[in-house]
Amino acid sequence: MSPGEIIQVLRSLDGVMITSTGMRDAGQSDYKNRIRIFDLATLAPYYNDMNLFSTECHGGARWHVGVMSRRESPFEEIRILREKMPNVLLQTLIRETNLWGYRPYPKNVIEHVVTNVDIDVWRCFSFLNDIRNMRTVAEVVMKRGRLFEPAISFTQADWTTNDYYLSCVDDIVDLCGGTDEIILCIKDMAGVGSPERIRSLVSAILDKYPDLVIQYHRHATDGLALPALLAAVQAGAKIVDAEEDSLTRFYGQPPILAVQAYLEEAGIQVHLNREAAEGAVQKVREWIRHYDWAESPFKGFDHNVTRHKMPGGAFPSSFEQAQKGGFLHRMPAILKVMSLYNRIVRYFDVTPGSQITWVTCSGIVNRYAKEHGEAGVDHVIQLLTKFVEEKDQDFEAMTEAEQEELLELFRTAPGDFKNLLLGRYGRLPMGWPDDWVYQSAFGDEWQTKIQERRDLSPLDALKEDDLEKIRRDLADILEREPTEEEFILYLMHPKDALGYFEFVKEFGVAPLVLPTDVWRYGLKRPGDKVEFELMGKPYSIELVSIGAEHDGEIHVVMKVNNKTRVYEIQTPRAKKKEIRMAKGPHEIGSPIDGNVWRIGNPERGPIQVGDIVHKGEEIANLEAMKMENAILAPFDAYVKEICVALNDTVVENQLLFVLEPIEDS
Amino acid sequence: MTKTSINPIKKVLIANRGVPAVRIMQTCRDRKIPTAAVYSTPDRLSYHVLMSDEAVHIGEAPPIESYLHAEKIIDAALQVGANAIHPGWGFLAENADFAQMVLDAGLIWIGPPPRILRAMGDKIEAKRIAMRANVPTIPGISNVEDVAQIKAWMAEEDVAYPIMIKAAAGGGGKGMLKVENDDQLSIAFSQAKSEAQKAFGDDQLLVEKYIEKGRHIEVQIVADKFGNVYHLYERECTIQRRNQKIIEEAPSPSLNEDLRQEICYTATRLMREIGYETAGTVEFLFDSKTKKFYFLEVNTRLQVEHGVTELVTGMDIVGLMLDAANGEAFPFHQSDIVPNRWALEVRMNAEDPRTFNPSFGTITRLQVPHGPGVRISQGVYEGADIPPYYDSLFMLIMAAGPDRDSAIAAMDRTLSNLRVEGVKTLHPLLLSIIRHEAFRRGEFSTRFIEEHMDELISGFQEKSSEDEVLKIANYVARISALGPQEWM
Repeated sequence: MSPGEIIQVLRSLDGVMITSTGMRDAGQSDYKNRIRIFDLATLAPYYNDMNLFSTECHGGARWHVGVMSRRESPFEEIRILREKMPNVLLQTLIRETNLWGYRPYPKNVIEHVVTNVDIDVWRCFSFLNDIRNMRTVAEVVMKRGRLFEPAISFTQADWTTNDYYLSCVDDIVDLCGGTDEIILCIKDMAGVGSPERIRSLVSAILDKYPDLVIQYHRHATDGLALPALLAAVQAGAKIVDAEEDSLTRFYGQPPILAVQAYLEEAGIQVHLNREAAEGAVQKVREWIRHYDWAESPFKGFDHNVTRHKMPGGAFPSSFEQAQKGGFLHRMPAILKVMSLYNRIVRYFDVTPGSQITWVTCSGIVNRYAKEHGEAGVDHVIQLLTKFVEEKDQDFEAMTEAEQEELLELFRTAPGDFKNLLLGRYGRLPMGWPDDWVYQSAFGDEWQTKIQERRDLSPLDALKEDDLEKIRRDLADILEREPTEEEFILYLMHPKDALGYFEFVKEFGVAPLVLPTDVWRYGLKRPGDKVEFELMGKPYSIELVSIGAEHDGEIHVVMKVNNKTRVYEIQTPRAKKKEIRMAKGPHEIGSPIDGNVWRIGNPERGPIQVGDIVHKGEEIANLEAMKMENAILAPFDAYVKEICVALNDTVVENQLLFVLEPIEDS
Repeated sequence: MTKTSINPIKKVLIANRGVPAVRIMQTCRDRKIPTAAVYSTPDRLSYHVLMSDEAVHIGEAPPIESYLHAEKIIDAALQVGANAIHPGWGFLAENADFAQMVLDAGLIWIGPPPRILRAMGDKIEAKRIAMRANVPTIPGISNVEDVAQIKAWMAEEDVAYPIMIKAAAGGGGKGMLKVENDDQLSIAFSQAKSEAQKAFGDDQLLVEKYIEKGRHIEVQIVADKFGNVYHLYERECTIQRRNQKIIEEAPSPSLNEDLRQEICYTATRLMREIGYETAGTVEFLFDSKTKKFYFLEVNTRLQVEHGVTELVTGMDIVGLMLDAANGEAFPFHQSDIVPNRWALEVRMNAEDPRTFNPSFGTITRLQVPHGPGVRISQGVYEGADIPPYYDSLFMLIMAAGPDRDSAIAAMDRTLSNLRVEGVKTLHPLLLSIIRHEAFRRGEFSTRFIEEHMDELISGFQEKSSEDEVLKIANYVARISALGPQEWM
């Protein structure tokens, strides 16, 4: 069906449909995006029969965590799901200019990437609700005949009024040429919309745009998800998001079977095949225990989310960072500072805004704790409380000492916070913060910085990337032509994509075929085995024994399809032989693996440090398999260092000489 | 052939390692002749040592202290009571002094007499003999002392680049360099000189005009001590990298029947005039444009690619060498030799298939497929080491069929299922070559690889579930040993 046809059906639909977030947001919000496609794919046959509107199975942080931690390609995931649930629309969550990465991309990158990802429903949001930023994604998606679902980022605050949101919707309707080919998403990413607030917002939008199809996306964090969903549907929302009851913890979407029962009791028809949905709920129970380790250490609903507004999708990762950084006990203070901070600099706490908030606020708290102990933490909270709540952000009303302290508050804030102030992400929804914030962030340079501040969308401000050059760079690194998919993975996350390619080269499709316990813990006891099919043929890997560690090495004996093999595994304690590799242009590396049988050349004899060598002169000779390889000086130079000794065995690119060029005088 | 009466060879010491040593032991096994291996320190557990009936340690890794050390090898033969020495190919195979020492020690030398080795080993002398026998030769000069002499000759004879510099004592591509222009000349000259010294202990060079788009065709000769000199037809060895053959086949797809008869007859005539004994090869460069062939050299040894001739003729060339050394007359005539198949050989070298840089280390996986029409000549086993000191050849794969396409198909099947891990090998390149359209059509020159390198490399990747499962097993082994990883 075309987007227009889908909208027609939804408009005339009696009752509501459900988007399952079981394959993406559920895992992101409560399990750090660690739920593997191996397990999620077991739900696909049920999804295929559930009569879902769509399944959100892609995007957000799932892409990056897949590449980095699950070692799964988002492209492979799409292929697997398409095959196993051909009836279901696949949905992604995409940031308007950051896409699935962490920087605003120029227009040509956005076009290239969006064109090459096979997704049916594109939910696109801006953490600034700067609708201008959605233009490129909207154009490409709509031109491809896919369904565009622009989202308005929702939060509950004194400034996020119905009028404010209606102006955002106006911009969206303008951008998309009406309401006939889009779904509007209200993205309540923190789970803070009170039922009556949501009822009022949906009604206000439908009053103005009665034909607009609205989908309500909500996290459960505040504990009020079910009544809020009911309010939205009663006001006219056509689609709501839910996840398997057995997946539900605290920060994801509400439980799907409960949603159906609760809405139907209120007299609303829910288009869901209950039997298939129950099957999926049951299936989750077979594997969810393997992910206990990935759950957030902060458990339980948190109605205070209405103040600190941390989005569900950021909960587990923030708490994980706090745990790793050893400041988990300061989380209540950090959340308190966030609730004050978000009234000073006003935007929406969702990627990348949520990361900016998190890093800025945890940074402030940790700095105070480091400098003044826990008393310092209390002090900064009092300072901000007084400024925001008592003095209503009237800078002049603060004492001189307090003013000075505020002027230091953002000095060590992260670069992204400063970029945000300079307009690099686009316009802030309620205008730029007060001048003192700039003074605090930039010190003496603050006025110049304000002049640098731009009002443009990054789409118009950013220079295009040279895609062919990036592709060639990648080809050089891989030493072969990258596939289109590899190229896009690299465009999004250059460093982590390379790590992923390296992993795949060494371990192939292990992430796709191994069950989760084996993926995470391996085989434990002799005789334990894992069996699977690969390219249509059966295979078995059975553990025979694991040896003791010796010299940083452990020998693992396994039977691979009955054939015994020994794997020599280097432990982190393995002694690493330090081999210096040639890097800069003045460092001469070995072209081959071989033996250094001559340093210098027959005419001049051996070369020593400090000697002058001439361009094209042979400075060493390597031998391998009885063939000689002359090393020639690439330019006139002093020999600064000779890094090998006569008769050393060297590896390819090992550093032989460091030369210092002799400049022409 | 039935073995008659006396058999002077009682036990053969093989003065070699790897593929040639193993190959010779196989025929000795057939003949129930005990064999003795020699080995250097890093070869202690190598395949040819395991294959032999007994083995003698002859020194350290550098060839000069072991496989090129004539006295140690002869001492080893005397020590184990071997009364014959087969030199294989490479190392001392064409060293006349060594052959003479073997004879002087009262041992049987399984190879041509020292006088022939001496005459043919000197490329200049060999060329002179060929010219005397009315065999066409490539224009060139010998006894080259310096670069100036080369330039003078080029001016005088109106020869343009490229030219070839060759070690007078050489063979197998060592000490052999193509020079494209003046700038390269002096470095190439000194490199060839030094390589020649290192590989053959003789730094004499000769220089020849380079024949563009030439094809390399050679004729296999066998001769007994009674003047019976026969040819076993030709082989084409045009596919080369760095002047070393990597694919050989028989018959040659370049020749028609008349040319085939002419080239084989010319080779036989030359070898008869020399008074050749045992197995040897006459190499020609064939100019496919003019359909002319030029004498290159005589290889006075068993050749790497002898196997393809064995496949098409059904003869055992190593066996014939033993017969000749035993002083037996060949019980067949030229007309008895009727090739009736097409055969192909690829050389599995341990080297980078893109750069041809050598690779060495432990062979961690070796899966050698068998099947109809396939012959494998292995110098290693799974778990063996390929040390950095010696030639990179570790396995030969041959395939035969009723015609060229069938032989190539059998080769394709075999290479597709072959697995070698732990060292880089030519494997992907070889597979790419035999699948290349131009190769399939038989249209190629000695520059085929340079000309098509990019296309050949683009054909490298192939996935199989078997390789994939080993990667998965590697992962399972790692996690089983180390537990959950930080990056998870």
